[in-house]
Amino acid sequence: MRLNEHPILDFSKRRGREITVYFEGTPIKAYEGETIAMALHAAGIRVLSHSSEKHRPRGLFCAIGKCSSCLVKVNGIPNVRSCITLVEEGMRIEMQRGKEELPKTAKPPEWKDAPKFDADVVIIGGGPAGLMAAINAADAGASVILIDEQPMLGGQLVKQTHKFFGKREQFAGVRGIKIAEILEEEARKRRSIKIFLETSAVGIFQEGDKKLVIAVRKNKELLEFRGKSIVVATGAMEKMIPFENNDLPGIYGAGAIQTLMNTYGVKPGDRVLIVGAGNVGLILAYQLIQAGVEVKAIVEAMPKVGGYFVHAAKVRRLGVPILTRHTILRAEGKEKVERAVVAKLDENWRPIPGTERVFDVDVIALAVGLRPSIELLHQAGCQLLYIRELGGHVVRRDERLETTISGIFVAGDTAGIEEATTAMLEGKIAGIAAALKAGAASPEWLREIEKAQEDLKEFRSGPFGRHVLEGIKKVMVVRE
Amino acid sequence: MKSEAKTVIIGGGIIGLSIAYNLAKLGAEDVVVLEKSYLGNGSTFRCGTGIRQQFGDEANIRMMKRSVELWKGMKEELGYDVEFKQSGYLFLLYDEEELESFKANVRLQNRFGIPSRIISPDEAKMIVPPLNTEGVIAAAWNHTDGKANPFRAVFAYANAAKKLGVEIYEYTEARDIKVEDGKIRAVLTNRGEIKTGRVINAANAWAPLINKMAGIPVEIPIHPYKHQGIKTEPIKPGQIEPMVISFKHGGVYLTQEANQGGVIGGYELKYGPTYDITPTYEFLRGVSYRFTQLIPALKYVNVIRIWGGFYAETPDHNAAIGRINEVDEFYIAAGFSGHGFMLAPAVGEAVAELIMDGKTDKPLDFYDPYRFERGELRQQAIQMG
Repeated sequence: MRLNEHPILDFSKRRGREITVYFEGTPIKAYEGETIAMALHAAGIRVLSHSSEKHRPRGLFCAIGKCSSCLVKVNGIPNVRSCITLVEEGMRIEMQRGKEELPKTAKPPEWKDAPKFDADVVIIGGGPAGLMAAINAADAGASVILIDEQPMLGGQLVKQTHKFFGKREQFAGVRGIKIAEILEEEARKRRSIKIFLETSAVGIFQEGDKKLVIAVRKNKELLEFRGKSIVVATGAMEKMIPFENNDLPGIYGAGAIQTLMNTYGVKPGDRVLIVGAGNVGLILAYQLIQAGVEVKAIVEAMPKVGGYFVHAAKVRRLGVPILTRHTILRAEGKEKVERAVVAKLDENWRPIPGTERVFDVDVIALAVGLRPSIELLHQAGCQLLYIRELGGHVVRRDERLETTISGIFVAGDTAGIEEATTAMLEGKIAGIAAALKAGAASPEWLREIEKAQEDLKEFRSGPFGRHVLEGIKKVMVVRE
Repeated sequence: MKSEAKTVIIGGGIIGLSIAYNLAKLGAEDVVVLEKSYLGNGSTFRCGTGIRQQFGDEANIRMMKRSVELWKGMKEELGYDVEFKQSGYLFLLYDEEELESFKANVRLQNRFGIPSRIISPDEAKMIVPPLNTEGVIAAAWNHTDGKANPFRAVFAYANAAKKLGVEIYEYTEARDIKVEDGKIRAVLTNRGEIKTGRVINAANAWAPLINKMAGIPVEIPIHPYKHQGIKTEPIKPGQIEPMVISFKHGGVYLTQEANQGGVIGGYELKYGPTYDITPTYEFLRGVSYRFTQLIPALKYVNVIRIWGGFYAETPDHNAAIGRINEVDEFYIAAGFSGHGFMLAPAVGEAVAELIMDGKTDKPLDFYDPYRFERGELRQQAIQMG
């Protein structure tokens, strides 16, 4: 089902020409500019693939190309990520059934040199960190290439309908979606920034004193990007928690639900249970209600709500119960979620028998945290450490966010899970530092780095920031 | 860690572990394996997984015939499934010269009971349905060749060896070897000293360093060359069952993992001598080109992994295996030039027999470590998969 009325969002301008695609032979209406997964979801299709070993139904989970839950076959080609691949007129989409057979007929590909692009700084990831890195690197004098595998810039900002906190220069009081628009406009108006969308970076190699970033555009075309330095701002991916049937279609990461309803105007379902009462879970509850979806409850394993009091109060006022010291035991349903069973936890985190409650829901939202997307940095050979406070494995880096490999910088959630404001500040630091490293910026830009470092320090001075600072201390490389 | 052992094996790859297991099986007590990193990390875990008997010389054919017998029984013998599968080796042949040399190899292989044969392109296509047979005039095919899982094989040997009393020390690097009057006294490691009278150098790419520690006066040229491998996302298993090889396409080899279904392989591109194993874009591009020439439909399949490893090469691409006379009870089994994984079961057996019985019925003379110094190089072994 599609959302047409929304108090904040206008989907009509996002939706392009109406076209027809085919799912398992059946024609489906779709709009140009939306991804396969969104079009299928709007048509009520939840099962996108079956797992390879036990043939269990699988559906959308992360919606941003980071998991492999939504793989489909498109025009006979298996393993296509339906969540980041745009629909095209007449596309033949089929459910992926485990491991697929190769297409019967194929000719060797035409083999030619990959198109080559050069810049001082190559930035991977067009979210808040990457955009800020691009803008600041360009202002400092560098030529910039910015690539992102999504069809649009803004990263996770494009689905944040809430207003930001903080200082005015850090976009306080502005909604995330608006921040994305402002940053995109700033990036696009700088001639020295070249932007490549639907382009997945797949490898980083050293080539003489340059860095080579290999990328694939639209799942088809190999591109080569060379830069004197690079910034990796590839964000994060949603965590999964173990419970029975946690792979059932209808169980989504919180971000996927925001992508559905806030980015593409697709109603995620009718009745939702949210797992996790941090800020993400609380904000999600509010956004769901805005979109006309019923939120049955929020369960939280901790004894108290993790998110801000204001968010929790707002959600409670709207009649959503927040069940602390509760967890989800299992999801039930045949091909998709039909029910969720939750239970109360004792002091040792064990479910208390007899306290089970059943919620009739068709969607279970997991808002149980994120982990940094460090795959490219790992492949490039940067040193990694597991840091609980930062959400998982992160790279070692110095004060200017340069990793243990000279010329490779990191920023945003990739450097450790925080939020968009710190991501933007880190992007600024990494962007300028990368421009300096490339020899494209004059040393007076060091002052701008110092300013951003001060702002970061101030922003992290709260209780949540202390936790993050503990983590950062453990990965900090001190250079002479 | 023990402070004393009768035998110290340096190198925790499949060669060192197979020797350790076989020694213990023949009753050797007090065997220790030292691995400077984790087991298998040197070359075994980085290999192309292939196991073949299609060699061009008698010794390698006989050794591999014995190896395949052992691979076949490994699940029972070691009590752990190493995913060995006799899915065959298919050499694609593109011109008369290639065909003639493979015909000669097949005749030799047949003499030793290897059922290899020359087949038509159509037969090749039946064995590997998505194969591109354009330009192929024939293929050399042996259905008793195969592949196994190197991770499981290392684990199987290590566990079986431990059960027989072998002690295995990971992250334990040999730093020096004490030799007095031509006799080994001790191996010094980063974790202390182990007194011993016998050392087996199974360090493959690092073997020259171990020889040097013991002051081996024989010139045994082993040089580490970086080769690389890739693996794709899984596709339905069984589509590319054998190891498929084409010399015409730069020595490309590829096969599907028996269980998971990812396609793995590589080609002849090498760098070195070097101890660097950073993967390169040149390889990624080169191997993608060659894979898709052989199996065009692979153009739709994503690469998920690329890695580097060593071929510890000798001048004739055959290993150096045997006793070193100048230092009492010093043995070497190294320089496998890309064939260590497939040869490991037979090599382990042969070296254990040599040590415990003083002789073996396997053709170890062929791998004589003194042949380089004497200038008696062997015919270059087919260095592939």
